[in-house]
Amino acid sequence: MNRTKRIVLLALLVSQALILSIIESWIPVPVPVPGVKLGLANIITLIVIIFFGFKEALAVVLVRCVLSSVFGGGLTFFLFSIAGGILSTIVMTVLYKVRPNLFSIVGISIAGAIAHNIGQIAIAALVMKDLAVAAILPVLLISGCIMGFFVGLASSFLENALRRAKIFDA
Amino acid sequence: MLKKGDIILLGIAVIIIAASFIGVSLYKGSGSNTGRIAVIKQDDKVVERIDLDSISEPREIKISGEYDEVIVAEKGRIRFEEADCPDKVCVKTGWLSKKGDMAVCLPNRTMIKIEGQSKDVDIVTY
Repeated sequence: MNRTKRIVLLALLVSQALILSIIESWIPVPVPVPGVKLGLANIITLIVIIFFGFKEALAVVLVRCVLSSVFGGGLTFFLFSIAGGILSTIVMTVLYKVRPNLFSIVGISIAGAIAHNIGQIAIAALVMKDLAVAAILPVLLISGCIMGFFVGLASSFLENALRRAKIFDA
Repeated sequence: MLKKGDIILLGIAVIIIAASFIGVSLYKGSGSNTGRIAVIKQDDKVVERIDLDSISEPREIKISGEYDEVIVAEKGRIRFEEADCPDKVCVKTGWLSKKGDMAVCLPNRTMIKIEGQSKDVDIVTY
């Protein structure tokens, strides 16, 4: 794949991740716990890990976090999303690369969601300087696993469709 | 669709969730359950401590910062009444009354948590 095509495709993926996180903010979450969300943008992170690699995935996550904070959220929001985003990208890449085909996309997505939640809580504990925020971790983890499952399912359908479409070939 | 490595991931996920549940229930169960003190913190500073058992008149506490919030405390319970932050998670959390209950407004870095009576001895009588 030449440089120009790479840049165009990655830019498209960033914009899709951004749209997904904006759409997601319109969907009300029934649980009043800070940090519970669908995590739709993770579909794009997974796709970039699969078709590109760690560096590209990290770049997409960073740009998406910066832009979505600009569109609404502010500095605190940025800190949480970036911490969760970086940690989950690392975990998902390691699981995907370490032994190909050992883990399914669904499993990797769930692990990524858990990593995301733990990263968020770590930052929350740092910002609030109070470990008590970890009390929301159980609810966050369970919702993360459920959302992670569906996000993983969506990603693996998307992966198959993209492989058939051969968009990322050469 | 699922692969054999997923069982390992599932196991790890179950362990992490179980550990977080145990940790939280230990935290909530520690200390005495009498004497509930609501602690309002902004950033890392304690703004207000309210003894929820001895308060008689409802009280309003106004918090300002990046966003403005109104906290209402009355006998036995406390909540975020109003907030102009974008997600309003803190208001939706509703009333807090049990030890270990907590409401957080991340955008404004404000939190209310209910602590048990501190273990310091207040009075010693002979």
